[in-house]
Amino acid sequence: MSAAPPDNDVLWARGIVKSHDGTPALRGISIGVREGEVLAVTGPRGCGKSTLLGCLSAQLPVDEGEVWFNSSPVHTLGRAGRERLRRDRFGFVGSEPHLVPELSARENVALPLLLAGAGNKAAYTAADEWLERLDVGEIARQRPDRLVQSQRQRIAVARALAPLPPVVFADDPTAPLHREAADQVLRILTSAARSHQLTLVLATHDPELVRFADRAVALVDGRLTAPAAPVPRGTPAPGTAGASAVTATRR
Amino acid sequence: MFYLRLARGYRVPDLGRWLLTALAAAVVAAFLLRSLGRALSDPLGGTDALARLLWCLPPLAAVAWFAAVAARSVPARRPERIAGLTAAGAGSRRIRALIAGEVALACTLGSVLTLLLFLVLRNDIAGPSLAPDLGMGVPLPPAAPVTLLALVPLTAGLAAGCSVPVAETLPGGRTRGRTGFGPLRIAVPVGLVVIGAALELIALRPGAPADGRPIHLPAGLGSTSTAALGGWAAGALGLALLTGPLLAWTGRLLALGRPTPLRLLAGRGLTAQARRLGPPLAVLTLVVALVLTTVRYWIGTPDSADALPAVEACLVLGCTAAAVLARLAEVRTDRREITEALLRLGASPRLLFGAVALRTLAVGTTLLLTGGATAALAAAGLR
Repeated sequence: MSAAPPDNDVLWARGIVKSHDGTPALRGISIGVREGEVLAVTGPRGCGKSTLLGCLSAQLPVDEGEVWFNSSPVHTLGRAGRERLRRDRFGFVGSEPHLVPELSARENVALPLLLAGAGNKAAYTAADEWLERLDVGEIARQRPDRLVQSQRQRIAVARALAPLPPVVFADDPTAPLHREAADQVLRILTSAARSHQLTLVLATHDPELVRFADRAVALVDGRLTAPAAPVPRGTPAPGTAGASAVTATRR
Repeated sequence: MFYLRLARGYRVPDLGRWLLTALAAAVVAAFLLRSLGRALSDPLGGTDALARLLWCLPPLAAVAWFAAVAARSVPARRPERIAGLTAAGAGSRRIRALIAGEVALACTLGSVLTLLLFLVLRNDIAGPSLAPDLGMGVPLPPAAPVTLLALVPLTAGLAAGCSVPVAETLPGGRTRGRTGFGPLRIAVPVGLVVIGAALELIALRPGAPADGRPIHLPAGLGSTSTAALGGWAAGALGLALLTGPLLAWTGRLLALGRPTPLRLLAGRGLTAQARRLGPPLAVLTLVVALVLTTVRYWIGTPDSADALPAVEACLVLGCTAAAVLARLAEVRTDRREITEALLRLGASPRLLFGAVALRTLAVGTTLLLTGGATAALAAAGLR
């Protein structure tokens, strides 16, 4: 019944509708994410950014519509299949770090690798490496409750990046951070995505941060206000609608 | 009274807690009224009245313990209730008073029901076998039952109110709390266990001189020497205090070496929760060990069993077990966010279930050790 997704789209959704206990969150969204791009989803609080990321990252089942990842359907997957997809293919950073409090920083970062069946040594080496890259290498053996929020958020970013998943979702990852730390975390996220050819889907309420993305779409009240069709890299997105701050800059 | 309207939104666990409190209070009230009835029937000047009143203390303590642990879990399990009351302008003192009032009301309800039954039975309905327990035929001074029965809601309410930390009733005050144990917190129980074991060994050594002042134990347990009883008390207290640190060490042992995710999550989780799980589990273990030892003695010694202590044991067991359940529910709700984060990472529910099962197994083993040691100390002292 469905048309095959475009070949260069790693993640592709068509007409997805989702409501939370009757409150509509997404009202028919079609979007394509190209392999290796940094896509920003902007919009005010409550516009459905988090729900969209949840649906794309196989956390929330969609009510209607289709989600495809690498030419295979996500919306038809059962719970176990979505679990496997999240574990093996997706990374996720939320607006809260959501670390496991009883594990040290490096154990938190190594956990997804261990869950995916990596060896102890490989997991902890990768964890130490990523903590070092995020400037939190010296607190690797401390537990999250002894750290400040910006350090915890960096650990969460390291946890999402350490397994080098093909797609990383970042749902307002800079919400708990000051401007300076936010810039650094986003720079690391985007540069890691570019250097490892990861695809990054970044939701943010701050139109300023769109400058880190290759392309941006704006979401208002569960609908896309800007064209979601992939645009060639490095060119501005056409049809910048109103004040929705759709920019596309490539630094 | 406003807080009571929240009762309309009660779900099964809340209702269960409320009903259990009322039921336990009713049983304690029955004990209290029985001692009053006996005191009325007996001739003046007997010392038995005081002993019977003292017998009411363990169930009263058990009800207070359950009320305290259950109240302690309210901020964790019903954060929206605390947030709503705070937003409505209730300060920390008022919230604690409301939680205490709720418990006190449940206890009052239970006590009043028992009092009504007591008064009805006194009205020449009960047969002659119950007459001395009810003080039948003797005029009842109205102040006596009221004073006695006020004790139950007061104790339980106070325990509930005091058990909720001020910080947890303030907005954003929910903290995960400290996890480790200080050196003194470990040294003191270890010392108590060593002293207790040594005292018992001295008291029970072959050829020990007969104690000049044997202590007559209640509940038909015969008599024992001062040293043996003191040794058992010190040892049991030490083992109970040591339960928390032992659980934390068990957790470390589980996550030793190069742990798999299962062992890592189970072990570290246990270490982190040891501080909170320790006290209710220690109390339950102590009570179970004591009850089992008593039952064993009753079975071994003919005509020693006693009905009243048996009823009391059931009540105390029920209250301590319910306290453990309340604490488990609290820990579980507190970890809901972490569980969600783990599931988002792609951890399978089976792995999380396995971690809980492994943790339960480890806790069970530890408790068997401490409970077994407590029971062994008690059984040795009884011989």
